Amino acid sequence: MRYVVLIAYEPGHWDGADEAVRQEYFDAHHAFEEYVQQHGRRLSSGALSDADLATTIRRDGSSDVVTDGPFVELTEQIGGYYDVELPDLDAAIAAAKLLPRAYTLEIRSVVGVEGYESL
Amino acid sequence: MLATVVREEWGRLTSLLLARFRRLDLVEDALGDAVETAARRWARDGTPDNPVAWLHTAARRRVLDRLRAESMAQRKVPLLVVEAERKEGSPVLADPGDLVEDDLLRLVLMCTHPALDPAAASALALRLVLGVSTADIARLFLVPEPTMAARVTRAKRKIVTAGIPFAVPSSDVLPDRLDALAQTAYLAFTAGYAPGSGPDALRTGLAGEAIRLVRVVLGLRPEEPVLVALLALMLLQHSRRDARVDGDGAIVLLPDQDRSRWHRDEIAEGVALASSPALTGPLTVQAAGYAVQARIAVEHATAPTAEATRWDRIVARYDDLVALSPTPSARLARAVAVAEAHGPREGLAALAGLDDDLAHSHRLPSVRAELLARAGDVEAADAAYALAIDRCGNDAERALLRARRAALHFPPT
Repeated sequence: MRYVVLIAYEPGHWDGADEAVRQEYFDAHHAFEEYVQQHGRRLSSGALSDADLATTIRRDGSSDVVTDGPFVELTEQIGGYYDVELPDLDAAIAAAKLLPRAYTLEIRSVVGVEGYESL
Repeated sequence: MLATVVREEWGRLTSLLLARFRRLDLVEDALGDAVETAARRWARDGTPDNPVAWLHTAARRRVLDRLRAESMAQRKVPLLVVEAERKEGSPVLADPGDLVEDDLLRLVLMCTHPALDPAAASALALRLVLGVSTADIARLFLVPEPTMAARVTRAKRKIVTAGIPFAVPSSDVLPDRLDALAQTAYLAFTAGYAPGSGPDALRTGLAGEAIRLVRVVLGLRPEEPVLVALLALMLLQHSRRDARVDGDGAIVLLPDQDRSRWHRDEIAEGVALASSPALTGPLTVQAAGYAVQARIAVEHATAPTAEATRWDRIVARYDDLVALSPTPSARLARAVAVAEAHGPREGLAALAGLDDDLAHSHRLPSVRAELLARAGDVEAADAAYALAIDRCGNDAERALLRARRAALHFPPT
């Protein structure tokens, strides 16, 4: 199964973190990556720039409106993601539990769209 | 005969077919078709020597037919995730022992996975493990059949799409998963035991099915503390079902129940389970909670009369329960026990601090009304009953509250 693990966190949390806290985060991410390596593989991953720096495109009738900011304003924002292959949801849950406790995590499986072939 | 086989073997048949074909969408339909065919054939030709094997073969052929039709249409359907070592073998019904039984455990754990909505999970378990029809499940949960069908379909889609595995998890996760399983079964049980709304006071059929679900799993893991404790609790509560409503469908409270109508065999089993050695080791919080509640139920079940109830011991057990998990409902029940042991004024004092947590419950004002009435404060009791009646969503319970309120002013002589 292919899963995307979405990482939600409170913006500003990271900027206020000291050296020791940052090391804890790095260790937790390494533990996650190690688990994924042992049970499957990592396809891609990344930390995302802050949501307030996002650019949103809305399709309004026939015109496209480009605006500053995210889709929705929430206290928690998507701060990063992992795109991984793991055997099942239990493995994805076990891996996600290794990530820093300050995160809220959403696991979504990646599904094929019938009739669509990627180029 | 067919009904008995379906009732007893549905879960085992489903799990075997799932292990082999990994198609949640096809297996249930195929098994349903096999049962329909059996109803016709067995009536005409007599019951086969091995009815379970007959149903298994008929359902398997059905799945194979569908798979063949699909492969001609070149349709690709996502498969259920099955543990790696199981993908190779194709278990047959003749396989004795662990293999088959593990499949049944895999099925139950899949249906009660914490990633599923709990209400949908209990419905799914009733459907796939116990073979209860969707129409019956809808009736038991008091929802329209299309609503229940949609709920079950959504749960099955979630299982396949999210990759919830047909698997027994590793030993570090298994206790949590058994806790989730127990919680799912108890949710179904309590939904039948004390429904919040609707005309029926009790739907004992649902409670009975929840007990059956626990028995199925306990058959596979007889020493599992959370299941032992839960079954004890369920049996002791369920044993009172016939005494809990009178001929007109009105609720009869514990002290007024005709104890000769309690099911003594179930009480005996519940009492034995509550003192089982399986419950002496270290327990999860959830298992310990069920065990304490079961011991409270034992006190009630073994008291020869309502007056002879050992309320001092019950208060002590509620102290254990509140220490374990100080939920509002545990604190409320403890206050009732305190009132019985030490008088209504003490009980009223024990209700302090519950108003914020139980701002919408009818139970708090109904208990307060009862205790105020016993303490002789008729006016305050009347106001509390009025609030309870206003908040209550169950017809039978509301009728009882109205009767109690009326009795304040015209006490029965």
